[in-house]
Amino acid sequence: MNYDVVIVGMGAAGLQAAIAASRKKAKTLVLGKHEDSALYWAEVENYFGVRRVEGKEMLAIGMEQASSFGAELMEEDVIELAKGDAGFKVVSDSGKEFTAKALVFASGISRKKLKIPGEKELFGKGVSYCSSCDCNFYKNVPVAIVGTGSEAAISAELMTHYASHVYWVAKEMEASDNLRDKALAAGAELVTAEPTEIGGKEKVSSLILANGKSLEVNGVFIELGARSTTDMAMDLGVMPDPEGTIKVDRKCSVGVDGIYACGDITGKPWQVPKAVGEGGIAGAEAATYARGL
Amino acid sequence: MSGNITTLTDNDFDNFIENNPLILVDCWAQWCKPCLMLAPILDELSEELSGKVAIGKLNVDENPGISHRFNISAIPTMLVFKNGVMQEPLVGVRPKDDIKKYLMSKL
Repeated sequence: MNYDVVIVGMGAAGLQAAIAASRKKAKTLVLGKHEDSALYWAEVENYFGVRRVEGKEMLAIGMEQASSFGAELMEEDVIELAKGDAGFKVVSDSGKEFTAKALVFASGISRKKLKIPGEKELFGKGVSYCSSCDCNFYKNVPVAIVGTGSEAAISAELMTHYASHVYWVAKEMEASDNLRDKALAAGAELVTAEPTEIGGKEKVSSLILANGKSLEVNGVFIELGARSTTDMAMDLGVMPDPEGTIKVDRKCSVGVDGIYACGDITGKPWQVPKAVGEGGIAGAEAATYARGL
Repeated sequence: MSGNITTLTDNDFDNFIENNPLILVDCWAQWCKPCLMLAPILDELSEELSGKVAIGKLNVDENPGISHRFNISAIPTMLVFKNGVMQEPLVGVRPKDDIKKYLMSKL
């Protein structure tokens, strides 16, 4: 399916971008899971003209608004972005492919820490946050992947090509059937449990689970949430800063033709008013760019 | 890459360590996106700390000997040596100011 504008992220910034783009008559698709938005669990009291409102309610209304102007909303994560002949190729976690003339990154900031004992102490000594970076160091040894979403599924599949055994530890399953099946078919062993501690002194030796069991592993890959947008942005020539934020100009352009960003991903303050303001600009600019092609 | 940064291999690593009082070696690989994010920061630091800190880059894919010797299991890892003695390494992408502050504390 071909779109003028594809927006990655279904929070305040992404939905405002969708409202702005679709009001400019751009054929617009929003991809992402609104429950993953930082706004979902928040209560907002600092937004002009609104006394106090739950984030869930703001998101529900925003989704209705975006749809009413013609934007399509799809609760799927993006797992691949690439430059194509006619703009950009976008692949979702269910395996669907789309094209976009313009892209808007509105996926927020990834909060990747698991916050369990051993994680900080053993970082770089068996704990890793990047399986594609560190896979080569774990040839023929057992590893655990921790995470419930698409990033964990992709990592679990990848590590089956290197490790002697891959435990995929997920207390629940949020990855798409498509990605989950690929990881399991490749040989990853799904362990439905909550990790509570990473064991080891100088190096990782185990992952301890809430059910009392312990997995003997040499590596623990913490891969929470959806595939990192900043990671995918680099495939398109966008360079994030070390904090994982993407710098934008006053038009919310990232400096690459046809790519815009808004919301928490562009940096602090991580506030709804800033996300909405940038979303309005990014959506309108992306629509103008796409329709001008 | 800045002209102030030395590309190192398994063969010339020890010589580099022995001949510079304070050293940072960025252990990296081409496929590692966080490593690519770190590269411009180290370019800037190599200019700003020129004459105080010698910065080298070691591709772990092409030089497995050094990564094995220093038990590197995550990249980027920045190995730091003062007068030939290894200090606490910096693992992962860090903000420029953090790296600079750490190096300055070793001067």
